[in-house]
Amino acid sequence: MPTGSGWLSPAGSGRSLPGRGLLLLTVLVLLEGTVFRLGAASTPDVSGHDTKDHHKATAIGHNSTKKAFPVLDLDYGHIQTPFEISLWVLLASLMKLGFHLIPRLSGIVPESCLLIVVGLLVGGLIKIAGEKVPPVLDSRLFFLCLLPPIILDAGYFLPIRPFMENLGTILIFAVVGTLWNAFFIGGLLYAVCQIQTGNSSELNGLGLLPCLLFGSIISAVDPVAVLAVFEEIHINELLHILVFGESLLNDAVTVVLYHLFEEYSGVGTVTVMDGFLGIISFLVVALGGVLVGAIYGILAAFTSRFTSHTRVIEPLFVFVYSYIAYLSAEMFHLSGIMALIACGAVMRPYVEANISHKSHTTIKYFLKMWSSVSETLIFIFLGVATVDGPHFWNWTFVTVTVILCLVARVIGVVGLTYIINKFRIVKLTTKDQFIIAYGGLRGAIAFSLGFLLKEDHFPERNMFLTAIITVIFFTVFVQGMTIKPLVELLAVKKKQEAKRSINEEIHTQFLDHLLTGIEDICGHYGHHHWKDKLNRFNKKYVKKCLIAGERSKEPQLIAFYHKMEMKQAIQLVESGGGVKMPSAMPSTVSMQNIQPKKLPPPKTVERALPQLPKGREEEIRKILRSNLQRTRQRLHSYNRHTLVADPYEDGFDKFILKKQKIIELENKIKEMNNYLTVPAAPTDSPTMSRARLASGKETDFKPAQQQKESKICPDPQAFSVKPDSDSVPIIQVDLASPQSPDTVNVMDEFRRADQEENQGLMMRCPRGPSEPKKSEDTEGARDQQKLMRCLSDPGPSADEDEDEPFLP
Amino acid sequence: MGSRASTLLREEEIEEIKKETGFSHSQITRLYSRFTSLDKGENGTLSREDFQRIPELAINPLGDRIINAFFPEGEDQVNFRGFMRTLAHFRPIEDNEKNKNATTSEPLNSRTNKLLFAFRLYDLDRDDKISRDELLQVLRMMVGVNISDEQLGSIADRTIQEADTNGDNSISFNEFIKVLEKVDVEQKMSIRFLH
Repeated sequence: MPTGSGWLSPAGSGRSLPGRGLLLLTVLVLLEGTVFRLGAASTPDVSGHDTKDHHKATAIGHNSTKKAFPVLDLDYGHIQTPFEISLWVLLASLMKLGFHLIPRLSGIVPESCLLIVVGLLVGGLIKIAGEKVPPVLDSRLFFLCLLPPIILDAGYFLPIRPFMENLGTILIFAVVGTLWNAFFIGGLLYAVCQIQTGNSSELNGLGLLPCLLFGSIISAVDPVAVLAVFEEIHINELLHILVFGESLLNDAVTVVLYHLFEEYSGVGTVTVMDGFLGIISFLVVALGGVLVGAIYGILAAFTSRFTSHTRVIEPLFVFVYSYIAYLSAEMFHLSGIMALIACGAVMRPYVEANISHKSHTTIKYFLKMWSSVSETLIFIFLGVATVDGPHFWNWTFVTVTVILCLVARVIGVVGLTYIINKFRIVKLTTKDQFIIAYGGLRGAIAFSLGFLLKEDHFPERNMFLTAIITVIFFTVFVQGMTIKPLVELLAVKKKQEAKRSINEEIHTQFLDHLLTGIEDICGHYGHHHWKDKLNRFNKKYVKKCLIAGERSKEPQLIAFYHKMEMKQAIQLVESGGGVKMPSAMPSTVSMQNIQPKKLPPPKTVERALPQLPKGREEEIRKILRSNLQRTRQRLHSYNRHTLVADPYEDGFDKFILKKQKIIELENKIKEMNNYLTVPAAPTDSPTMSRARLASGKETDFKPAQQQKESKICPDPQAFSVKPDSDSVPIIQVDLASPQSPDTVNVMDEFRRADQEENQGLMMRCPRGPSEPKKSEDTEGARDQQKLMRCLSDPGPSADEDEDEPFLP
Repeated sequence: MGSRASTLLREEEIEEIKKETGFSHSQITRLYSRFTSLDKGENGTLSREDFQRIPELAINPLGDRIINAFFPEGEDQVNFRGFMRTLAHFRPIEDNEKNKNATTSEPLNSRTNKLLFAFRLYDLDRDDKISRDELLQVLRMMVGVNISDEQLGSIADRTIQEADTNGDNSISFNEFIKVLEKVDVEQKMSIRFLH
């Protein structure tokens, strides 16, 4: 085992296709070996125990044979379950890695197909090895562990604006469309079964209710499959949200229909009363689910208000509250998916206003990671379960099902669109309808629901399962593979990649107000009117409760502007810009300027110094501060409660380069003018002490002061910094106060220095640490928070959806 | 029109309005009843006070400007024709209209005319440019009183910088159109008047 994994890593760097294939094969063999072992483990364990007992017995009996002390022992049973789980997850992740390294394959075949194939292979290998295939797609495992991360990810990052704008359309597709599908498929299947009475006896006993039950299972569009396929085709936002929203909201219908038919299949009849109860049940399930989710969402938002001192566990609240919401909804047989979506969507604007930037990134990364692994596992398990599951192939049933699914979907979409278009402002074209119909993929939820059926109630269960798997394979493989070329062929509008500019934001809000006004004049209580009312309510009452501190009063536009500026600042630093001022840099303003009015910037020293273009100066400050801060963060000991980084964990050479750059910059600044007030010559400026700490006293760094004074050329290793003479400002980089390079104190000083820096517009004279600013501590803390929020990774993908404020 | 506003709108008038604005018969009648309900003075025209009596409009940040948009240059009263003419900008664009490209004059609810209406709300002095000050005024109205002038100034500067392509430090109508090309104006600036 260890040799295998050791061999894997060098192979990973190869680039040839055979290398890839060999890698995959090795992993498969590895897994098969393990699974083989785990199948056999059940027996050796028992025998092991027997022998142990035997030994003990003999030992006690004879009292003379002393067993040698086991230096190395193998106890697989002890760690079996977690080990298996970890291996499966590892397999899933390695597969994901592998597929993206094979260049052409990932372009042609969607990932979901490949994963199912891998699952088939693994299942096949296990079967060949003669072992029992573990029941991996057990319904409890699926619904309680694998599905929630995906749904939470979808719900938390749901683009609210397009969702709400198209809510009517989505609801009609989800509710009416699913009902239509279920009854059409179920009814026609029953008719086919009746016709088949003479020929095959198997279909004979199929009553109407089991058929309808089957119809309801197979009719629901699956969010996992839709996500997996649509993510790769980058279709325009409207279509994406329509199909995806439908797949999420039809869960309520599916739950009700499933329970209804399952309950009454035993009895054999469904009366009108039951139907009526079913409708009421649907309303309860749907609205109840949303309500449960919203309650937990508000709780989470409220909790996040108080987390400013324990930033480390902020993401945990988001995850735990959401999961509890899901479980609570499932407990009452309400729609868990809708609860999750509601929870995520409700809590997001408030939580994001409260948590730090790092927590925000953490949440994003964790959600994406979990959902990605879950999705991969689901598809692999589908493959394994296909190999394993008891199959009962009936040509008629399966082919009729597949055909009916397609037909029902097309008729449903076309018919509903005709009705919907009467009410829509932007009509759905034929192309749109085609994509919506074609995107109705079935997936693992259908399979799990089928798996849940009990054999004794439903003797046809195996036949159902086979048909379900066939439909899933058909939709995922055929439809999934062909949808991308079809989208290209039909020239469907693709997703617009560009981010929202501040112009768009301002004008969109402007138009919102305008339209609300016009609606009021017409006396027409339309879409804008209610949105405006909700926004007003939100601003007046809800935000005050759920958002901590100053940000509760922040207007939407300002919040948007903040975010944009922050992103740009991060980008500037990340691009390794150093001192270079790109002239293309659009912003001449700094986020630092955006502060509430009641904090007037101290205006003591600036007047004495010549004016500079504000923007340039701010840019330099930003860069310097971020670079310096990064350095500082590296030097403090890691503490679980304070979340500061380890000094030695980052690349040492990068650090050296950064230091060089900073020293360069300081040098240039000093050379440019004489106003620079450097803190009076300390023997060990904080810069140097940090450098020394990190370098372990082996560089020949000269202290910054000495370097400046002697005007020695810095290390040639450093970046060649372009001196932009007319724009280098006269600023004083107010590093911490000169004394105490001691670690603990420095941190406090930096924090205070930060506060000082944040409160000014530009320059001021250095203030010693002896002036604690008690009155402005909250402001400082908040600015600190802002800066802390600034310093983090941008995240996996530039997700413009996150920019949207509450109900934009 | 007559000393007392007739509750019945004459057929010829309805036809004329229909031709000019594209509203349907029932929509015109419905909006006429709304017009008369707003017209407290019952003289067949609306004044600014009539509009200001609408409660929601008072809390709308752009309320005053919207009201002004109804009144033609320098006048204080607007009749039903003018009322409908302004509202016509917000009619949804229909598919069959999109194909009409040989018309002499563009319908009032075309995309360009919608944008022109919005542009005129920014550009109060009608010089076909949104200057920094005009933008600042609008921002101030939308953002409230808590934000300082400086900060708003930064936002305004940034906005103009993003949109300005010819370097005159203001936003012309064409630049305005360009900036909003990704926004679905047809949907955003349309009200679904019930049939």
